[in-house]
Amino acid sequence: MKRSLMDILCCPVCKGDLALRVDKEDPQEILEGNLHCAACSADYPITGGIPDLLPPSTR
Amino acid sequence: MPCDPTQVYQPEADTFLLLEAAQEEVRPGDRVLEIGTGSGRIAAALVRDHEVVATDINPHAVFCARKEGLDVIRCDLFSGIRGRFNLILFNPPYLPTRPEERIDDWLEFALDGGATGRATIDRFASSVGDVLSPGGRLLLLISTLTGLPEVQELFSRYGFAVSVVRQQALEGEDLFVLRITRQGD
Repeated sequence: MKRSLMDILCCPVCKGDLALRVDKEDPQEILEGNLHCAACSADYPITGGIPDLLPPSTR
Repeated sequence: MPCDPTQVYQPEADTFLLLEAAQEEVRPGDRVLEIGTGSGRIAAALVRDHEVVATDINPHAVFCARKEGLDVIRCDLFSGIRGRFNLILFNPPYLPTRPEERIDDWLEFALDGGATGRATIDRFASSVGDVLSPGGRLLLLISTLTGLPEVQELFSRYGFAVSVVRQQALEGEDLFVLRITRQGD
């Protein structure tokens, strides 16, 4: 995912901000990483360039 | 990369009808959001000239769509998305499905509209206002099987105006593309 996508992503449960951690990226986009909601203590992984924003309970 | 095309809704007549409507409706400068992008066929046709974000709940669909060069997010409708979009496209699961008819694989999400065929459409209608820009437009694909009057009434109750911009007769059903805007826009 492009870094600019952070502007439109939020926690699916509380709609709060997500903290980005990048584990692997190329010049165009983030390939592997994590989006963390501190309020919910929830993690939403970025895998193969795709953020997975399904709430933990429904995965 | 886990993209099993047999687990992804491949373009059919409904896809092409919505695509046609989208190409006619889209304006320069539109921020486009496609919910349930499936194969990514529709979003891919718009991405060269417009900002497009594509979503799907199906983990195979998101990887298949990404191969089209799209910005793809895995999520359930708008859950996890904020911001405002001028044009929102959705070819929803619209078939009335009885519990004993469920197929229990990822294609289920593409087809199963619950007992009435309108369960997902109702959830969509109830929250789409949060991500629709002022003056924004929705294009929604439905079928006679979904219930056109019921869908029009559903959106009307949420404060939207509905018009039919495309109709196509297939065997056993007619398809419609609905253009939906906020009442008073």
